[in-house]
Amino acid sequence: MNSQIAPGETLLEVKNISLSFGGVKALQDISFDILKGEVRAIIGPNGAGKSSMLNVINGFYHPQQGEVWFDGKLRTQMKPHEVAKLGIARTFQNIALFKGMSTLDNLMTGRMIKMKTNLFWQALWKGPAEKEEQEHRERVEHIIEFLKIQSIRKTPVGRLPYGMQKRVELGRALAAESKLLLLDEPMAGMNLEEKEDMCRFVLDVNDEFGTTIALIEHDMGVVMDISDRVVVLDYGEKLADGTPDEVRKNQAVIDAYLGVSHES
Amino acid sequence: MFYRESGDFKTSYSGDQQIFPIAFDRWVVIAFCAFAFVVVPFLINDYWEKSVLVPVLVWSLAALGLNILTGYCGQVSLGTGGFMAVGAYASYKLTTSFPEMNMFIVILLSGGVTALVGIVFGLPSLRIKGFYLAVATLASQFFLVWLFNKVPWFYNYSASGQISAPERFVFGIAISGPNSPPWATYLFCLTFVVVFALIAKNLTRGRLGRSWMAIRDMDIAAEIIGVPPLKTKLSAFAVSSFYIGISGALFFMVYLGAAEPTEAFGIEKSFLVLFMIIIGGLGSIFGSFIGAAFMILMPVLFKNIMVGGLGWPTDLVAHLIFMLIGGLIMFFLIVEPHGLAQLWRVTKEKLRLWPFPH
Repeated sequence: MNSQIAPGETLLEVKNISLSFGGVKALQDISFDILKGEVRAIIGPNGAGKSSMLNVINGFYHPQQGEVWFDGKLRTQMKPHEVAKLGIARTFQNIALFKGMSTLDNLMTGRMIKMKTNLFWQALWKGPAEKEEQEHRERVEHIIEFLKIQSIRKTPVGRLPYGMQKRVELGRALAAESKLLLLDEPMAGMNLEEKEDMCRFVLDVNDEFGTTIALIEHDMGVVMDISDRVVVLDYGEKLADGTPDEVRKNQAVIDAYLGVSHES
Repeated sequence: MFYRESGDFKTSYSGDQQIFPIAFDRWVVIAFCAFAFVVVPFLINDYWEKSVLVPVLVWSLAALGLNILTGYCGQVSLGTGGFMAVGAYASYKLTTSFPEMNMFIVILLSGGVTALVGIVFGLPSLRIKGFYLAVATLASQFFLVWLFNKVPWFYNYSASGQISAPERFVFGIAISGPNSPPWATYLFCLTFVVVFALIAKNLTRGRLGRSWMAIRDMDIAAEIIGVPPLKTKLSAFAVSSFYIGISGALFFMVYLGAAEPTEAFGIEKSFLVLFMIIIGGLGSIFGSFIGAAFMILMPVLFKNIMVGGLGWPTDLVAHLIFMLIGGLIMFFLIVEPHGLAQLWRVTKEKLRLWPFPH
C-alpha cells in the first residue's frame, strides 16, 4: 500500500452527498470522513441509505450533488471497475460470489486488478503468464491461511455453507489488497460463533494489513465493540457521528432506533 | 484402483496449476494425441474422414468457440452459423485473392476477420442479457447469411451464387479440393483443433478466463472487483468468434468444398452447436469435444446399425434417428443437467474412493 496518506489522516471524505431516485430521496446532504487505519461503522434502521452510501463510494450510483475525495484527490464520476483500481474493495449484503468457481478462483479473481499479462502470453501460458499466476497464487494462499479456509480451497463456492461463503467473500475483497474495504453487513444471518470469528477477522485485517474498514452492521453489540467511530443515518439524513459512546448517548439516535412518542 | 488422485501430491504451484493434475489423466491424453497424430493417418480412409473424423474435429472447434462465449462468459448466442459463414467467406476471399498465401495463414486470418465481426455483434451485450441477447444474436445470424447471398462480391460474382474451394496445398500436399488425400485433410484439421484446444484451456484457467466466469456468475460483483464489463464481454465475443471463424473456414475449405450460405450456415447450425455445448457441458473444454462427438457420431452410429446392420429402409431410419437423438438429449439432460462433462466429473469423484467409499 503505497499511499501518501499517513495513518490518522483522512482517507476518504464525502461532502454534501445527495442522491435521489425520482422522487425518493435516498441520501440528503451527507458528509463524513473515514480516517486511514480506522474501523468506521455506518449504522441506521432499514432503508436509511447505508447501502446507497456504499454504492456511491463504489461508483455504482452517481449522486446528483456532492463530492467524493479519496486518497487526497477529488474523484470525478467513475465506473465501479475504475474505482476498484483506485483501491476500494467491497463485500455485499447478499452474498455475491462467483458460484461456479472454486474458492481459489474466487480469490484469484479478487486480484484481477493486479494482473497484467496480455492475451498472447495467456494463450501461451508458459512464460510471463505462468509466473504471474504463481506470484498471485502465493499471495492468495496467504489469505487462505489467514481465513483458515484451506480445506475448501478447491470446492465450488456454491456448495459451501452460508457462513463459509461470507468468509470467502471477505477473502475475495482482501485479495485485492485495497486501501479501503467496504463491508456490507458482514455478519448478517450468522450465529454467535460465526459472528465472533468474523469480528476477529475484521479486527485482524485492520491490525495486520493496516486496511481501513468501513462496515454496515445491524448488530449493535458488534458495532460498538469493534468500530472506532460510528456514523448514524436515518431516512437518508445523518443523525449522528462520533465514537460509539457518543453515539450511544445521542438522543436522536435513541429516538430513531426505539421510536419516539409523539404525545409528549 | 488404477485411476486415483490420492497419493498424487503437489509440492509446487505449477504442479497444482497444470492442465491435468492427475498423472493418469495426463498420460491418457498424451497417448490419445499421439495415437491421433501418428497412427490414425495410416488407417484413415475416405469414409472415416468424411463421415466421422473431420466433421467431429470441425464441429469441436465450433463448440469450443461457443462454449467460451456461452459456457464461460454466460452470453447466449444463436449467431454461430452466421459467424461460421464469415469464416468460410473470409477464407474464400483470401485464398482466391491471394492464391500464394499459406493455408495456415488463410485460416488464421479468417478467424481474425470473424473475431472483428463478432466484436461488432457483441456490442449490444453490454445492455442486453440472457434470452434477449440470444434474440439479438439471432439478428446477426440472419443478417450475415442474407449479406452473403445478396452481395455478389463475396462469391466472386459466380453464376450459381455458390462458393467452391480451390485446390490448395500445404507442404506440397493438397488439403482442399477433390484430390486431397484423407490423411492430409485430417491432419490439417487435427493440428488446428489440438493447438486451439490447448490455447482455450490456457485462456480459461488464467486471468481472462476468470474474468469471463466472474461476469457469467455475478456481473455486479465482477465489476466491483475491477473487471471491466464491456471489455471482458467483447473479448469473449472476439475469442469465441475467432474459433468459430476458423471452424467455418475449415468446414468450407476442407470438408464441404462448395457452399451456399442458406444451406450450409443456416440457423439449424447455430442450434446444433448450442446443443453440442449443452449436452457436452457448459464451461468445459472437454465437454465441447464430447458434445460435438455425441451430436455428430450418434446419427452415424444409428445409421450404421439400422441400415447396415438391420437392413431397414433409409427414409424410415432417417426419421427414427431424429426421434432417437431427441430422446437421448432429453435423457442425458434429465440424468445430468450440467452435461456429459459433469457426468464424467461425478464418476471421477466416485472413482477417487473406489472401492472403499468411506
